[in-house]
Amino acid sequence: MGDSQYSFSLTTFSPSGKLVQIEHALTAVGSGQTSLGIKAANGVVIATEKKLPSILVDEASVQKIQCLTPNIGVVYSGMGPDFRVLVRKSRKQAVQYHQLYKEAIPVTQLVRETAAVMQEFTQSGGVRPFGVSLLVAGFDDSGPQLFQVDPSGSYFSWKASAMGKNVSNAKTFLEKRYTDEIELEDAVHTAILTLKEGFEGQISGKNIEIGIIGEDKIFRVLTPAEIEDYLAEVE
Amino acid sequence: MTKQHANWSPYDNNGGSVVAIAGADYCVVAADTRMSTGYSILTRGYSKICKLADKSFMASSGFQADVKALQKHLSAKHLIYQHQHNKQMSCPAMAQLLSNTLYYKRFFPYYAFNVLGGLDNEGKGCVFTYDAVGSYERVGYSAQGSGSTLIMPFLDNQLKSPSPLLLPAVDAVTPLSEGEAIDLVKTVFASATERDIYTGDRLEIVVLNADGTRYEYMELRKD
Repeated sequence: MGDSQYSFSLTTFSPSGKLVQIEHALTAVGSGQTSLGIKAANGVVIATEKKLPSILVDEASVQKIQCLTPNIGVVYSGMGPDFRVLVRKSRKQAVQYHQLYKEAIPVTQLVRETAAVMQEFTQSGGVRPFGVSLLVAGFDDSGPQLFQVDPSGSYFSWKASAMGKNVSNAKTFLEKRYTDEIELEDAVHTAILTLKEGFEGQISGKNIEIGIIGEDKIFRVLTPAEIEDYLAEVE
Repeated sequence: MTKQHANWSPYDNNGGSVVAIAGADYCVVAADTRMSTGYSILTRGYSKICKLADKSFMASSGFQADVKALQKHLSAKHLIYQHQHNKQMSCPAMAQLLSNTLYYKRFFPYYAFNVLGGLDNEGKGCVFTYDAVGSYERVGYSAQGSGSTLIMPFLDNQLKSPSPLLLPAVDAVTPLSEGEAIDLVKTVFASATERDIYTGDRLEIVVLNADGTRYEYMELRKD
């Protein structure tokens, strides 16, 4: 990259002190499909819409929620391909941590390192910022945790959060329904109801994705059948 | 035409013996304090034991310059870990880190023969034994250094270690009490001092348990 014609940073300050590329990246995130996460007293749930461009697309092949380690999962709003790159990098960082310390990487450490990668792409030559915001859900020795990571590389811990198209309505809805003592099962119901608020069309197990992690510390993505069960309970 | 060999070696062996024994809720790490070169004594009061973390003590025999460099490297890594994690490294994590650090110099090794002793996350004693390039194993007890060939068979006799090949894995920590283990260490070093010229002068013992860390010393023969 050193000898390239583009070895200068494309992300530069505007006179008002903003990094316009990051603002644009956040716009890309804001027009992406809604995703949200809720931290319960005994676990974390993350969920997202899965609107596919055509009914001909095989929805089973699309996996928007991914696991980074057996006890950490992630969902995004924004550009899918950028998400896949970050998932690969984060998984590698988690494995390298294990090779160094023979221990599972704590959620905070993985979030920090992923955020550091995203920040690098706002200050390196010839690259652009990632067009995704991530919601990282994990359960480690410090308990259940939910983190949001933005294209700038800043990260925040949330009790509940939403990103993407319907973010303000979703957050207002979550603010009303969230309690510190909420249990994981309730949190899943609340997540579904929040997604339903801004959902165009009929919600079903095939056009949303839900990932949960409980006290067993194993992150897993719910099957469409399981989602249908939760939807029935919510009705 | 015979091949020319180096008339200078980057390594030297400063001798000495190190031992560690793991108990149900304690760990004993011990080393003599003699530092030698060839048939000469450099000093009678050199500590081979280094505190890497609250619950991880490393004792190393071999080339003390490499040992010192290794200790500094691991301490620095631990400091960074503390900054990032806001807590101390566990002993098993330090064990893996030491292994990686040693293998990193696989083709110009640290001439250090290490035992790592401490308490694991459950408060049980743990001992890890290494070769110079990082191959390691968690054991109930171990000896390294110039007196190890004299010490290890005696520890095997007294502590009856189960085979590492047994399945399911059998816990190797000794049922001995802390006091009994310390007496065993003193006996073992006194015997090794008799026959190993590089072991002697003084014995330094570090005892880790739930109450903290304690240091004990015992005089050894100085000849």
